[in-house]
Amino acid sequence: MSLWPLGLMLLFFILLFSRWRWPLGLALAAAALAGGLLQGVPFITTAQGGLPQPGSAIWRHLVEGAFVYIDPMLIMVAAFLFMQVIRENGLLSALTWWILRGLGKRPALLAMALGLFVAFPGMLTGLSTASVLTTGAIAAPPLRRMGLDARRTGAFIAVAAILGVVAPPVNLPAMIICAGVDMPYLGFVLPLLVLCLPLLAASSLWLAHGALKSGDAGAALDEVDKGPLQRHGLRLLLPLAVILVLMTGPRLLPAHWPSLGMPLVLVLGALTGLFTGDRVALRPAAEGALRQALPVMGILAGVGSFIQILTLTGQRGDLVLTVLQLPAWAAWLGIALSLPAFGAVSALGSASVLGVPFLLALLGKPEIWVCSGISLLAALGDLMPPASLACNFAAQVTGEKNYFAVARRTLGPALLAAVWALAVMAASPWLNRLAGGG
Amino acid sequence: MRFVKPISMKEHARALALLAAAALLTVLAGKDFLRQHLVEDLWPSPALSARQWLSHWHAPLKGGRGDSEVFVFRGQEEGGRVLVLGGTHPNEPAGYLAAVLLVENLRVEAGEIWVLPRANASAFTATDPQEGTPQVLALPDSLGQPRAFRVGGRATNPLDQWPDPEITVHRPSLQSLSGVEVRNLNRSYPGRPEGFFTEQVAWAIHRIIEQEGIDLLVDLHEAAIEYPVVNALVAHERAGDLAAAAVFGLSMNGVEIALEPSPANLHGLSHRELGDALPGLQATLLETANPGQGRLRGRTNAEQLLLGKDPCYDAAQLIPGMNKVKVGPEGLPLAMRVGRHLDAVRELCAALELTRPGKAVRYTGPPTLAELDARGMSPWLRPVSGLDQPRKAR
Repeated sequence: MSLWPLGLMLLFFILLFSRWRWPLGLALAAAALAGGLLQGVPFITTAQGGLPQPGSAIWRHLVEGAFVYIDPMLIMVAAFLFMQVIRENGLLSALTWWILRGLGKRPALLAMALGLFVAFPGMLTGLSTASVLTTGAIAAPPLRRMGLDARRTGAFIAVAAILGVVAPPVNLPAMIICAGVDMPYLGFVLPLLVLCLPLLAASSLWLAHGALKSGDAGAALDEVDKGPLQRHGLRLLLPLAVILVLMTGPRLLPAHWPSLGMPLVLVLGALTGLFTGDRVALRPAAEGALRQALPVMGILAGVGSFIQILTLTGQRGDLVLTVLQLPAWAAWLGIALSLPAFGAVSALGSASVLGVPFLLALLGKPEIWVCSGISLLAALGDLMPPASLACNFAAQVTGEKNYFAVARRTLGPALLAAVWALAVMAASPWLNRLAGGG
Repeated sequence: MRFVKPISMKEHARALALLAAAALLTVLAGKDFLRQHLVEDLWPSPALSARQWLSHWHAPLKGGRGDSEVFVFRGQEEGGRVLVLGGTHPNEPAGYLAAVLLVENLRVEAGEIWVLPRANASAFTATDPQEGTPQVLALPDSLGQPRAFRVGGRATNPLDQWPDPEITVHRPSLQSLSGVEVRNLNRSYPGRPEGFFTEQVAWAIHRIIEQEGIDLLVDLHEAAIEYPVVNALVAHERAGDLAAAAVFGLSMNGVEIALEPSPANLHGLSHRELGDALPGLQATLLETANPGQGRLRGRTNAEQLLLGKDPCYDAAQLIPGMNKVKVGPEGLPLAMRVGRHLDAVRELCAALELTRPGKAVRYTGPPTLAELDARGMSPWLRPVSGLDQPRKAR
């Protein structure tokens, strides 16, 4: 049992990406291919049904792994389309104007309200992408106009989106862990609120309050283009209303209102936007959305292939076991580091691959509180390079080219979140008693 | 905003090369994916009474990948009726192969045994992404010729049901589950006639039990070694006495198995939903420990599933409480896991007669755990012409 093949795969990936300038997704897939072949995965499929046992060629595994993210990829394209439409039809500038007029002179309130606003779609869908590319795109202009630089704005949006993923009612990492141990997703509201609300307030203030306090709300308001608002009035808000209603309805009336799925909801929002504001040319907007989403889709496909090869070759199991074998004093640290680190390739993957055995290893402590803490640590993975999904998208909505710079600025709040998650997990017996649990 | 910029010849060439590479990858991988749609034939015992399709109980499934064969064995004497489900999760091969050994060896003397070896037939046509599961297990038949048995995924093939919602809302309980569970047959009960594909499969199984007056349901599964409910018999509360008698019978034969109550607040499971919905039914589920399934497993391949040996689980044994089943140097071979299932089915049938007089189900033919431990599965796999056995794509 050894992790040296994983080390070699990572080294090869880093060489391809940083020295030979390969795109991230391709570099990951190439590292997966090389790692698989090096560890004896066959180049061609051996006879199915033959003895000794048959084995699929590496090609099937590369493709199969890449397909795990097909649904998030659809959401991304649809979200980029929605963002493009509301930017061009004037809704974005109208919202900026409203937000600055309402809260521009109260920086602390503005920071916290925007944090909650960004988190909202994540709370309903469990997806950071949904937050970053919808409410994140809306929150970015007022923050920028109040003087927050693009990188910090990106970090603000990314962190709020992650906390939205963790906040109730829908926490996908927790649901995945629950499915892995056959535990009902019940009783999570209080633990998740305890985890998220203080962090959301603290990180919003940490990242934005300073700049917002010294910003000039009046001047910022003057710079906003009020044209679309004067031309179209409240009608501009319709696309936002459409997606909010379609996202909230199935949660409020699950027996009667089937979910249409995020991609369709976002496309319907975007289509509504074509008729409610300034004229938007659909085809260029759709092309633009696809071009913006493609690099990230490539990264996700590469990540999928990489994890499949890790599983196939036993490196995934070795990794989980290595953390579980740490002495007790280091195990907590191992959990706090490995969950976000593995989340760097996939936050939901981290919840499934590491979250489930970690919860089983910690059985005996109140499971709901521990699972909630683990879900926060796993969700932080969306901030971690190389994929840095939340930072990658947040950079795009703020116009920042270097998403690593955005990721760097999330480090402080991410550390705070990890410490808070550990504290809640460690104090879970006491918290559970306080909450009236057995 | 338009995103158009001039494209150089070099970029054109690079794009063409990438497209060609993608096409090649599609062909190479596609061959493997298509191969998994070839359905291996099963060779029922001569005592087979009837062969039906699942679509007989829910017509919309007819001819599709959700349709699957149901094998019926009737005894000379009147008695109870038992339905055995294999392949609810095709990535749990002991469940499937135990059902296969029943189909190929059963001779029922009293009562009836209905076997649905590929309960989620669609899930046999695709493996789960990021799990690296082997597609096929090859087992020698009684003449030593290899027979291929597919290993699929935990969930319905996305070609049959896609996309997944972000959140699965189970009907009728309205319990929220993660999105992928929408394709999990054992989270889709009691099923809906006009629901999603997987719910329709669940509905067809529900209808078999309801229309054919099934007395006992046995759903065959496997679970990871670190999973708390493993080497266990899970029973709906109405099946408690029957399950306790079966556990006692097994322990008398040296088979240790835990008796677990069906959780009341975890919905969609066969024992919970069908047990609740059908008052005449005693609903049970069996779990064995499969080293090829857990998050701690090492290299994932067919040998691991067959031999049940994994160095990672050997190492995990040193972590207190991690492995819920002791893994000895002999591992947890597939033949042993299949044997546990077959012994448990036998004891459950015996317990049915004990707890509900007049509902006897007695049979001979399938091997016991002791026989499988000693001789492996081959003697009970009927001989066919090896790899070229007739197969059809679905």
